[in-house]
Amino acid sequence: MTKILVVADIKQNALKKGTLELISKARTLSENVAVVAIGNHIEGLIPELAQAGTDTQYLANDNKLEMFSASSYANCVIQAVKQYQAEQVWFAFSESSKATAPRVAARFKSACATEITDISIENGKVIVNRPAIAGKVYQKIQFNTSPAVVIVRAGAFDIDGEYSGTENIHNLEIPETDLRAVIQKIIQDAGEEIDLADADIVVSVGRGVKDQTGVDLVKALAKDLKAGFGSSRAMVDAGVMPHNSQVGQTGKIVSPTLYFAIGISGAIQHVAGMNGAKVIVAVNKDSEAPIFNVADYGIVGDLFEVVPILRDEIKKVRN
Amino acid sequence: MKILTTVKKVVDVELNIQVKEGKIVQDGLQYVMNAWDENAVEATVQLKENNGAETTLVCMGDSESTLMIRKAYAMGIENGIHVDDPLLESADSNGYAKVLKKIYENGDYDLIITGKQAQDTDNGHTGIMLAEYLDIPCVSNVVAIEVVDESQLAVSRIGDSGTEIINVNLPALLTVSDSINEPRLPALRGIMMAKKKAIETKTLADLELTLEQIDMQPVRTEILEYQAPSVRQAGKKFEGDAAEITAKVVQLLSNEAKVI
Repeated sequence: MTKILVVADIKQNALKKGTLELISKARTLSENVAVVAIGNHIEGLIPELAQAGTDTQYLANDNKLEMFSASSYANCVIQAVKQYQAEQVWFAFSESSKATAPRVAARFKSACATEITDISIENGKVIVNRPAIAGKVYQKIQFNTSPAVVIVRAGAFDIDGEYSGTENIHNLEIPETDLRAVIQKIIQDAGEEIDLADADIVVSVGRGVKDQTGVDLVKALAKDLKAGFGSSRAMVDAGVMPHNSQVGQTGKIVSPTLYFAIGISGAIQHVAGMNGAKVIVAVNKDSEAPIFNVADYGIVGDLFEVVPILRDEIKKVRN
Repeated sequence: MKILTTVKKVVDVELNIQVKEGKIVQDGLQYVMNAWDENAVEATVQLKENNGAETTLVCMGDSESTLMIRKAYAMGIENGIHVDDPLLESADSNGYAKVLKKIYENGDYDLIITGKQAQDTDNGHTGIMLAEYLDIPCVSNVVAIEVVDESQLAVSRIGDSGTEIINVNLPALLTVSDSINEPRLPALRGIMMAKKKAIETKTLADLELTLEQIDMQPVRTEILEYQAPSVRQAGKKFEGDAAEITAKVVQLLSNEAKVI
């Protein structure tokens, strides 16, 4: 039976939801599911990783791994692939994964597929589905080499909680830091926000909110809903919203239950990042804005008028 | 500093794309320079202007790819290499990376700059794999480049928890984000001059590369088919009194969609 290695997605020493989604899905394909966890002070995550359905846990736990380094992280994953003899390597979608996965594939003379939405085995070959060309087409791809390295789109798989595993920890060798590319510092994003990829509700702002006053108005809605707070590219380029808030083809791909597009026109690059949402609500004063073509519920109106009413009405319904 | 910049000719994503019998309908498609590669070209030209650099561009693809090279010339790139070989038609990221590896090795470059991904595949593998095959450091998703000295750059990349400031030794490879700059519109004079400039054209045989050497025999991945995405239908759109329609939508979110 195929051996699957899941690379744990860890942020600030906590496991991200995507990891559990991947393990859960992997268990539906195989009984042989291992995980590799890389970071510093992360030994406490092992019970949760076992409980999620893995029987083997590879651990690289060291202060040299405190900050992300693609070469060090790839080195750890490569060790785990070799030890487990993994035929598939699954990453959750993140910037770190995008920097690491192609290196792992190259090292094994294999290949990589990014942002897959489905994976199966047909006639002994790994087959994946993934969007391409800004989501305008889907590709069905067959791997002819092993291991098949994939990065899974956020929210592609559900956690069913049916499986559980046992603790069986293998410590990996800690790689030496690659001195050719050394992180000097990380300018952290504001910490209060909920991670977009994990958020069940996402509220995003576009050009229509204009400036910081508009952002603050909509942010209050996000706060009420305990939602992730995202943006279109226009707001990032204007310097009003941080890079990490960008939802879209080159930013974050989100698949929340509920997505609010506030003052966003709906360029295809943005839609490519959010059309996996279950329900989309759009607020825009231009009734012809393309966002209404993908929205389940559209409110044509001035967001500065609509958003405060939205907050009030949601509070009423929730009480 | 000697810089190699890579660009890809991609389908224009703004156009409608149809899928028929598992294939993309080619009629009516138009091709453009990959948007992130335009950022790579701009970043290269800025390095040339601010710090001095010898600039070379490489583009793989059919004869239309020369238009991408001419555009880069008009933006300020000095030399262009066009790898034109029908055998590359079904190449994947590995294949491209292996061809680029050969180009790099022929040229004694200090820095490779490429877009963070191509608009057609949305993968973002080629640059990173290329660095891996060359065993040179690689920083992806770069939003700023500063020259420290002849042997080192300080670059900023957007990572998962914020902006990472990284010192990277040359030779190195950077993949750039679209946030790094605003690509210039070539001036008319540049466009006229670009038409006259020579382009070096190479086949795989010229580069002394076999299909085995570029991982195309056997090919590592195959696209079995293309599928049209399930189209989201436009839902209910409300116009009129803001208070009334907003309350209505919230009711629907609660009672119909059951999401709040």
